[in-house]
Amino acid sequence: MNLEVSIGHMRMKNPVTTASGTFGYGGEYAGFVDLNMLGAVTVKGISLEPHRGNPPPRLYETACGMLNSIGLQNVGLERFLKEKLPYLRRFDTKVIVNILGGSIDEYCRLASGLDGKVDAIELNVSCPNVKRGGIIFSSNTHMLRSLIREVRAVVKRSVLIVKLSPNSSDIVQHARISEAEGADAVSMINTIAAMAIDIHTRKPRLSNIIGGLSGPAIKPIGVRMVWEAHRSIGIPIVGMGGIMTAEDAIEYMLAGARAVSVGTANFVNPRATMEILEGIKSYMQTHGIDDINKIIGGLIC
Amino acid sequence: MSRLLDTEVEGIHNLTAREFTLRLRLPANAEPPQPGQFYLLKPPCSNDPLLRRPFSAFRWGNDWIEFLIRKKGKATTLLGTLRSGDRISILGPLGRAFPEPEKTTVVIAGGIGIASVYSLAPAYRADHTLIYGARTSGELVFVENLKTLFRDVHLCTDDGSRGFHGSVVDCLREFLKDKDPATFVVYGCGPEGMTASLTDLLKEHNIEAYLSLEERMACGLGACMGCVRQTAEGMRRVCMEGPVFHIGEL
Repeated sequence: MNLEVSIGHMRMKNPVTTASGTFGYGGEYAGFVDLNMLGAVTVKGISLEPHRGNPPPRLYETACGMLNSIGLQNVGLERFLKEKLPYLRRFDTKVIVNILGGSIDEYCRLASGLDGKVDAIELNVSCPNVKRGGIIFSSNTHMLRSLIREVRAVVKRSVLIVKLSPNSSDIVQHARISEAEGADAVSMINTIAAMAIDIHTRKPRLSNIIGGLSGPAIKPIGVRMVWEAHRSIGIPIVGMGGIMTAEDAIEYMLAGARAVSVGTANFVNPRATMEILEGIKSYMQTHGIDDINKIIGGLIC
Repeated sequence: MSRLLDTEVEGIHNLTAREFTLRLRLPANAEPPQPGQFYLLKPPCSNDPLLRRPFSAFRWGNDWIEFLIRKKGKATTLLGTLRSGDRISILGPLGRAFPEPEKTTVVIAGGIGIASVYSLAPAYRADHTLIYGARTSGELVFVENLKTLFRDVHLCTDDGSRGFHGSVVDCLREFLKDKDPATFVVYGCGPEGMTASLTDLLKEHNIEAYLSLEERMACGLGACMGCVRQTAEGMRRVCMEGPVFHIGEL
């Protein structure tokens, strides 16, 4: 049974990775998951300098989902390279690093600092929780184009993935732009901008007012967007958004995802990635599929 | 030793209309908790409520653990429907415990906060005083047990229906009048408002203390950065650096 998939020149032993921000820097989950078993570990978004993030409250649960406005609290590039990456490198898995900058220059400095040291760089152009940067690139196609072009120019050895936002006016157009500007792959979808209100105090549930909605509530939207993008671009798609089970992961793959990221499910079940991987294998067995690549984009309609 | 445990419900004991205890059988290889540590419990449903909910380890033995839970929302109400023999997934023990005291302790519990500090007296050999309050006498639970565990128990109610008429913080203020603050350490847990005024009072009298905080939480493992509190040391995760914080950090 072949489970290997390629995202650009990065070969993942299986299609299962983690969604940025839901798996820490990997070590947090090492007591539950054999990291060697993962196709890749995608770590918490990194910025050039350490970020303290948004004030609490940062979390609120909604029906079949959750809102977060962490605001990219992270250790910064230097500490990531010194303290976090060497640990991850001890495992036989690929390392994908999500990056977020406040300007094109910052993205480029981050990307060149990581290029060749990690397997893939995931360009976060769509974080709904950071005021400066991120979201601005996903709301302006000209900016997005320049950003990808300039980052592409400095990323020579690692694979470049562009993480797309469902909050943009046209995610498929952004997928096309990513491909045209030389991205190796796109990942989608980021969380959906959303909010909740405490009706007794009339205050927002999150200090940041708006947060990102994740979890099973958003899965059908993610599947639809992956399917639409798959019909329009030729580069691989890393699918995510509410994947809780192997069935969810396979749905994304049938819609066109070549790899899948498990996010919020890690919070509910720290072993979710392993159970999803096992479930994918038994699906393949049941359906007599010898190569996972044969189901990618296999939707019949 | 994994902290992700598939456990069996031994039973539920309803104490009041809202409070109940949930007793689970712990697998033989389970790591025992320490006072102040917590577990994330998966409500018996698929995706709604979605996340696990944090509960302090209330009481435990070699092969069992008990949680004291107040029905407040969907998840706690669902947990209250569990029956003997049901399975439930729990994650723990998590977080930092109350440290073993080196002197006399004064334990402050507000409402359901008793769940986090109850185990201090049986676990740590010390001269323990308890100041325990609730809104009304009907919400004070395990009073008789507490009287056998703690040397001295002061009860308080907001409505004056039992014990001291006022909050635990007001009661502590009275208690402090003839005491030397250097001779004891305070351990406390309660609702946010109580914790805030307790912190002020403790700082005003320069009393050493450890307080357990509560925050909405997703992973419990330090990964999601969702449960942070602003502390003197910067943003700190309640699940990792807490839930028990030294007064100096608050």
